[in-house]
Amino acid sequence: MPIQIDRSVLGKEYAPYPVTVERGRIKDFARALGDLNPFYLDDHVGAASEWGDVIAPPSFPITFRDETADSAALLRDLGVDISRVLHGEQEFELFRQLTPGETYLCRAKVVDIYDKTGRSGPMAFVVREIAVTDRTGEMVATMRQTTVIRL
Amino acid sequence: MRYGKVYVEDVQVGAEIPWLVKGPLAQIQLTRYAGASGDFNPIHQDDEFARAAGMGGVFAHGMLSMGFVAQVLTDWAGAGTVRRLGVRFAALVRLKDVVTCRGRVLAKTSKDDQHLVDLEVWAENQRGEKVVTGRATLALPSRG
Repeated sequence: MPIQIDRSVLGKEYAPYPVTVERGRIKDFARALGDLNPFYLDDHVGAASEWGDVIAPPSFPITFRDETADSAALLRDLGVDISRVLHGEQEFELFRQLTPGETYLCRAKVVDIYDKTGRSGPMAFVVREIAVTDRTGEMVATMRQTTVIRL
Repeated sequence: MRYGKVYVEDVQVGAEIPWLVKGPLAQIQLTRYAGASGDFNPIHQDDEFARAAGMGGVFAHGMLSMGFVAQVLTDWAGAGTVRRLGVRFAALVRLKDVVTCRGRVLAKTSKDDQHLVDLEVWAENQRGEKVVTGRATLALPSRG
């Protein structure tokens, strides 16, 4: 018997939350990927670069979580246990490079929920968009992430 | 040569970029990625939990493979060139898997001072099965 999810979460906008890009976090992230690019890891290379500092790898905004809230807010809203969740799709659009010390505001919204049946049975796809802006309101990055729930 | 810089004039539509081979994946890398990314879903750490969830054992974060795919692009074209990267996680990546990341140029467009290159990107495991598929757009410098 498939489980039910709470579809009223469609259209929900989560409270904006701030994130600050930390130098050590960029480096830990790059090293965890095994990506030893000196533009991520070497402060001297970063200082001499067109960006004036090290920059973050393209997928770094995935670390932009709401530290002040329950990070499982979406799953709780859906009424779903984490063991049923898979990452289906992910997209980043980057309008400028992320450098240490910058503080951004993230706004997440649930933009779509749809169903499909795969090899392993029925699944629900929940699509979230997260807009990342700087303190002047200018767009820095957007993320679109599709969470798959095995029903 | 490892960290390339590519000019838009040097890019040929239809050409493949150099491959990037990652792995074989070890549990420690998944644990390290969990710490670095903040994604502590036990399904990537705890084999018993992953089996009980019906997943047949631990598997890698999709985002780890996406990071590999981002790296095949930046190893080729340089850090800071990726404008857009979108992927679908097509199959699970398991411990001991070797992930080969690849890309092929689909189109080039230039408007004013901006030179964009669209690529098809993908990652495959040691059996040739695609585990990630997607598209990327890079902004490249011009020799002009």
